[in-house]
Amino acid sequence: MFYRLSGIHHTNYVSDTRLYKIPADRNLALFLLALGLAAPFLVGSLYLNSYMLPWLVWTAAALGLNLVTGWAGQLHLGYAAVMAVGAYSAVHAAKYGLPWEFALLIGGISAAVIGSLFAFAALRVKGLYLALTTLAMQFVMDWVLTHSPAISGGSHASLQAPTFALLGQRITSDTGLYYVAFGWCLLVTIFMLNLRRTGLGRALVAVREKDYAAAILGVNSFYYKIVAFATSSFIAGVSGAILVATFFFLAAPEQFSVAVSIQVLAMVIVGGLGSIIGTYFGVALILLVPGVVNGLVAEGAGALGLQLNVESLAHIPNAVYGALIIIILMIEPLGLGKLYGNIRDYLRVWPFDQFKK
Amino acid sequence: MELVFLAELAANGALTGLLYSLFAIGLVLIYKASSVPNLAQGGLTMVGAYIVLALARDIGLPLWVAIPLAAVVMFGFGMGIERVALRRLAGRPIVMILMMTLGIDIFLRGTTLAIWGGTSRSVELGVGYDPLFIGDVLISRIHLVGAAVALLLFVVFVLFFRSRLGIRLRAIADDYMASWSVGISVERGVGLSWGLASIVAVAAGVIWGEIQGVDQSLSLLLLKGLTVAVLGGLDSIFGAVLAGLILGILENVGSTYLDPFVGGGSRDLIVAAVLILTVMLRPHGLFGRQDIERV
Amino acid sequence: MTQAPDKEATNILSMNSVEVLYDNVMLAIKGVSIQVPKGGMVALLGSNGAGKSTTLKAISGLLKAERGRVSRGEISFDGTVITGLPAQRRVEMGICHVIEGRRVFEHLTPDENLEAAAPLSMNRATLKTEKQRIYEYFPRLAERKNSQAGYLSGGEQQMLAIGRALMTQPRLLMLDEPSLGLAPFLVAEIFSIIKKINKEEKLSVLLVEQNALAALEIVSDGYLIENGRVVMHDTAQALKANSDIQEFYLGGGSGTNFHDIKHYSRRKRWLS
Repeated sequence: MFYRLSGIHHTNYVSDTRLYKIPADRNLALFLLALGLAAPFLVGSLYLNSYMLPWLVWTAAALGLNLVTGWAGQLHLGYAAVMAVGAYSAVHAAKYGLPWEFALLIGGISAAVIGSLFAFAALRVKGLYLALTTLAMQFVMDWVLTHSPAISGGSHASLQAPTFALLGQRITSDTGLYYVAFGWCLLVTIFMLNLRRTGLGRALVAVREKDYAAAILGVNSFYYKIVAFATSSFIAGVSGAILVATFFFLAAPEQFSVAVSIQVLAMVIVGGLGSIIGTYFGVALILLVPGVVNGLVAEGAGALGLQLNVESLAHIPNAVYGALIIIILMIEPLGLGKLYGNIRDYLRVWPFDQFKK
Repeated sequence: MELVFLAELAANGALTGLLYSLFAIGLVLIYKASSVPNLAQGGLTMVGAYIVLALARDIGLPLWVAIPLAAVVMFGFGMGIERVALRRLAGRPIVMILMMTLGIDIFLRGTTLAIWGGTSRSVELGVGYDPLFIGDVLISRIHLVGAAVALLLFVVFVLFFRSRLGIRLRAIADDYMASWSVGISVERGVGLSWGLASIVAVAAGVIWGEIQGVDQSLSLLLLKGLTVAVLGGLDSIFGAVLAGLILGILENVGSTYLDPFVGGGSRDLIVAAVLILTVMLRPHGLFGRQDIERV
Repeated sequence: MTQAPDKEATNILSMNSVEVLYDNVMLAIKGVSIQVPKGGMVALLGSNGAGKSTTLKAISGLLKAERGRVSRGEISFDGTVITGLPAQRRVEMGICHVIEGRRVFEHLTPDENLEAAAPLSMNRATLKTEKQRIYEYFPRLAERKNSQAGYLSGGEQQMLAIGRALMTQPRLLMLDEPSLGLAPFLVAEIFSIIKKINKEEKLSVLLVEQNALAALEIVSDGYLIENGRVVMHDTAQALKANSDIQEFYLGGGSGTNFHDIKHYSRRKRWLS
């Protein structure tokens, strides 16, 4: 009905390794792409700036974490620290007078270098112990950030980002900044979509499933772990830099604290490990829903004539955020991506599968 | 530096360290029974302290009623968390289990603060604040009380794990399938460990709440508790006590000497460094058991 | 719980055309029917992956831990239908399953292993005499009762696993491959102890073995399972005399060559 499909008929390898095996999927992706491009003309600038833009940048960042956690199976609780490295290096480079293109690149590369340090922990331990090590490394990075004024920008510990510019054009309009975020997110998405079709992607999955079984099969798991961490750190670094350049406009340590690391991991897991479309859903849910619910609670309380104190209202988003993680993991541990997949599989041959039984 | 000062640092560090152990024992109990690293222990500690406060302040019960009552409530609460949230994740990848406990932690923190507000309150245990001198060494009374509670709990749990129920819990920790095969209810055992850990959380919450006030900062104990638990070996209660002592002394003495060089706040750095070094050099900690992975 | 027909009263266990599904899709056994007489000893023979362990898990209720379930058929123990009961309840009723691979509690001592398996309702005095009883059957365990179970030898671990099962006061003992990876003299020792327990305590035993030769020496009846179905059921004597059994499971027989075996297997598969 929707997918117009009655079985998958591949007659050659080229068609089997196509990005979208089903035409309907490709059309859906193209539709979403068009929607993303048209967004500035469809929604108001408030929504564009405070919802769409952070959603896209965080999605790009979360995809990077999904690369290392979902694909390569390496737990990472220090992702925000890597983002911070990228953000701070890029802002410092831009302040120094370098054009933003190079500043972003420098941010990405320095994040990749520092982020690879996390990989050395991954070479030694895995699972829970890796999670704890990366968590500790996050604390160390936080500490370095807050205790070195040269990096964090003096006594106020905040660093003003210079006006964003690409190709010599200063970008200050909401629409312009949105397209920067959109472009970066698109780039990362295309990279991730194609990753699973490459040898690198398959090697990462092999390392995730059982690293030294993969090693026995001739996959150099050390090498691939470092590649995974470096690539994901690069994405983290650029995402962090873009986040500061287009959304926060100044860099502060608490933007990249341990709570943020946990938040990005929550986005990835709620979205679904190894799922790209799921990551979009996960980020939307974790980033946007708590605020929306809080608004509803405030309104509902107002309508019922209840007095909620300001402090309670301030903490409700956190409670909702935690509850979302718990509920999604209870319903489907593989996340929203899996739920989407279930619905898609159900609809794929609908209504004809009714006759199967 | 003079010797008395060093002794004082070490003694107070050791006492603080035992308070970390108090927190870490909760982690160890759950890890021992189900290999679940409970990152929600900080949240549980907060809830425990807030419930004691609610019973003592808001309802007006005397503390000696409020604390045991809170322990009972929390026992049920901990078992409930295991039943509702963790049991269905058994056998799933560790990342999901970690995320679940983190989600619970965030939820508990958000909810308690939304209900009771974030203003720091004290439990008012009635332990004096006037300094106590042992020889020339100055010691905080409340730390001494807390350390005593930690040691008491340690003894209680060591005895418990020798009892028949305790042996069953250890059996569960060893092998789920074999436990089922001889009629041990693994589910109930794991639930029990959560209940016990929640009681430990009440004890930790009350003591820490007395020291630094009952507020959000209670959940920040998690990193120190985790470090102690990992250094001790994650599944060894004795390890947790010893590691607490080590970390406490190291942190107190180390930060005093280090702070002038780095401009303060080196405590967290020392803790993080100990955690990283432990995992890198000796992942199974001082007394943890080493499991062999097979291809 | 319904009462099963009277004719089964002489059987402590009876399984009627039981099917087991794993993950709701994989059919592991396809209609297995087995009877174990009271106080009797029955062997379940078959090659790897034939469905022997699954059959035992269906009886002990451990299937659930591996996401399997009984999708058809009925299992009754001593006249009571137990198909849907949880594993713990079945142990209380008197079914104990010694799982494959000597899974003792490695970080506990043998003494603690035995205590862990004893029902909590058992009082201290009984516990002590029960442990004593086990140590009498397995004197080797008594010698090492305070060392860590993980460091016992393979044979000792198997003895401990059986002893641990006996602590649950079973009326039906199910053993999954007790001979796995053990030296022949140890196999003989363990089997003779099992036989002795069976005789002295009137304990019914269901034994799963690949080592058919040793198993058929001590049991009265045998079932042969292939591809999830019972393909043969007879007395131990008759089974030992059967030429097919000799050829495929006892390693004897005459005129066997590899080509014939392959041919035979292929034919069997078409038929089943």
